[in-house]
Amino acid sequence: MPHPMPSFGSFSLILALALCVYSLAAGALALYAIAHGKPLAVPPERLRETARRAGIASFVAVTGAAVALVWASFTNDYSVAYILHHTNRDLNAAYKFSALWSGQEGSLLLWAWLLAAYGFVLRVRHKVDVTLSAYASTILAGVQIFFLLLLNFAAPPFSIAPGPVANDGFGLNPLLQYPEMVIHPPMLYLGYVGFTIPFAFALGALMMRYPGEKWIHITRRWTMVTWLFLTCGICLGMHWAYAVLGWGGYWGWDPVENASFLPWLTGTAFLHSVMMQEKRGMMKAWNVWLIFATFMLSILGTLLTRSGIVSSVHAFAQSSIGNWFTTFLVIVFVICLFTFFYQRDHLRSENKLESLVSRESSFLFNNLILLAACFTVLWGTLFPVLSEFYDGSKVTMGPPYFNRVMVPVGLLLILLTGAGPLLPWRSTSFRAIRRNFVLPCIAIVATAIVCMAAGVRPWQDDDASGGIYALVCFALSAGVITAIGAEFLRGAGVVRTQSGRNLFSSGILLVRRNTRRYGGYLIHFGVIVMFIGLAGSAFNQSKELEMSFGDTIQLGNWRIVCQSYSQDSNANFDTDFALLDVYHGNKKVTQLTPERRFYTASQTTSTMVAIHSTLARDIYIVFEGRNPDTDRPIIKVFLNPLVNWIWIGVFIVILGTGIALTPPLLPVARRVEVPTAAAEAAHA
Amino acid sequence: MAAAQTLLGPVLLLVACFAFVFWPQEKLSAEVEKTRLDYLRERKDVIYENLRDLNFEFRAGKYPEEDYLQQRTTLEAEASTVVSEMEALGG
Repeated sequence: MPHPMPSFGSFSLILALALCVYSLAAGALALYAIAHGKPLAVPPERLRETARRAGIASFVAVTGAAVALVWASFTNDYSVAYILHHTNRDLNAAYKFSALWSGQEGSLLLWAWLLAAYGFVLRVRHKVDVTLSAYASTILAGVQIFFLLLLNFAAPPFSIAPGPVANDGFGLNPLLQYPEMVIHPPMLYLGYVGFTIPFAFALGALMMRYPGEKWIHITRRWTMVTWLFLTCGICLGMHWAYAVLGWGGYWGWDPVENASFLPWLTGTAFLHSVMMQEKRGMMKAWNVWLIFATFMLSILGTLLTRSGIVSSVHAFAQSSIGNWFTTFLVIVFVICLFTFFYQRDHLRSENKLESLVSRESSFLFNNLILLAACFTVLWGTLFPVLSEFYDGSKVTMGPPYFNRVMVPVGLLLILLTGAGPLLPWRSTSFRAIRRNFVLPCIAIVATAIVCMAAGVRPWQDDDASGGIYALVCFALSAGVITAIGAEFLRGAGVVRTQSGRNLFSSGILLVRRNTRRYGGYLIHFGVIVMFIGLAGSAFNQSKELEMSFGDTIQLGNWRIVCQSYSQDSNANFDTDFALLDVYHGNKKVTQLTPERRFYTASQTTSTMVAIHSTLARDIYIVFEGRNPDTDRPIIKVFLNPLVNWIWIGVFIVILGTGIALTPPLLPVARRVEVPTAAAEAAHA
Repeated sequence: MAAAQTLLGPVLLLVACFAFVFWPQEKLSAEVEKTRLDYLRERKDVIYENLRDLNFEFRAGKYPEEDYLQQRTTLEAEASTVVSEMEALGG
């Protein structure tokens, strides 16, 4: 008996592949003919247009496949092996939808669909620059072909399960049955996939020797939106790890976490250094390689997640698609390298670095630090794989390695985040430094003194390093926040003088006039708030106890009292939960109910953490299970300071990026007389 | 009947995509070759924006006057070179 929706899905994927092959071949032929003036049987402009339309049509075809898979999930079509292995009848609707990205084949389909969607927008908006868009569209078609080859031949999502159709599925991994998991993977993929667009534009601009920096203007919004998606994806992943995995932390330097962090680091470096190219025509080759590297690291991240070459709670099962990704990476690298060497004279810098103390140098140092961080994380992630390949022993690079390098690197980044915007372009005089740096320096010293007075004295602890780093982080953060505040106040002051408005509305007008700069400052502020939250982890405390009715855990001024245990069940899972009263001093603050669930379909157990969150700290309680000898429940309590600051920082970053993406008010035109060289010569 | 249902969707999708890709279009997007003049216009816009930023930051009190004058002279010289070349090209 035929299966209409799976057949439709499979056909859509084959059609999408055929359309992308046509888009690549016709696009490349047309662009070659136009560039070299070669005649073709059909006008090359017409051929190029069909290539563009084939790219657009590929989006429709891949959408058809994605809809077919979601349809199969909602209609419990267990004839499809993927649906059988990743859903069950009693799963709620949101998780049935998220089944699209819960397994290898589905998540690759999501990759391909997002890529086609980005391509759709690029191809529809081709009039921003017809030729450059045609190059980017053709390159994009090449990337699409790779993912569609995977979906058609290596990891087909519509494979039919052998034997008679099962009555129910095996269920979704319990760790994925959490609200963030419905949006975390799409966000992360929007980030990973989105870097393909600036990559395609950069490679296209280099291939066609595109004059000027307009390609940066065209891709700026793409890059920022992509960066924001990746940031949100990473932070949602952190929140998921915090709220679901039950180990009390949010970042464990897991290889798959690292894989998402790598393109974020190079992408952040690119967003900064590209300003030097826009403003001063510098660092062209550097920028091209940064965006090449960002794209390749996105592919590497996908390879690490899917190939099973690294051990991780996030990694999908071991599979053969690692070879496909490795081959694709090699092909991309060779194409990038060849194009770079062939066109390298096009990337000559128009200006040189004039001073080591200038805005340019701060961007350069920022880039070097971000790249050092990227290399550290890459090395730590790949070293176990390399050592196993070299001598068969698998070495683990755990948090101590990463923290030893990344914490000082993070502090240097905070310093540059504050210093960079205060430095003028080209060069800086001592007077300018004194004028701009006095207030932030006072804030740094004052904060350090206040923190120490408030009891942050890490040298008195057994392990002083974490506390010292946290103290430095708080002090530097205060300096950066002061610098950002001063920038806003100075700017608003100028607008107030010009417009006669009050300071607040002058501030609003200031931001509307230069959304990019002040949106950027707000992003910096958000990142600093996140850093403050991260530094709070230096003061984490935890205690674990077998708790019966009336038993108490004391952690600092906080007291957790066990009231009772209870059980509940529904069609999807059975749950065992504790009722715990939380006291601060003698005052009852709240009651928390950490759970332990048993999922019927997948026959697996999972923990649901209970968290009482405030600006100052989180009370984080895990029901770890029962002691098999005594059958008494084991409760673990964490006191995690400042965690909420991380999530607040993310919201500020989102707000800042939204502002930076908003078109500014047009500047008021003013006539400025500039003597031309000819006039100057005549005058002389 | 069931086979016909299975085939209907793919055939419709195939025909729609084929028609969309190869349907003759009356007007193609105009090809605009980017000239040196276009490039210089972009450069001029960037330099003028840099000048606006410099003036704003000076008024905001970030630069001492001599630093400002020195930077402004450099930027004006850059603008002057670009504008001269534009004039020579008839822009």
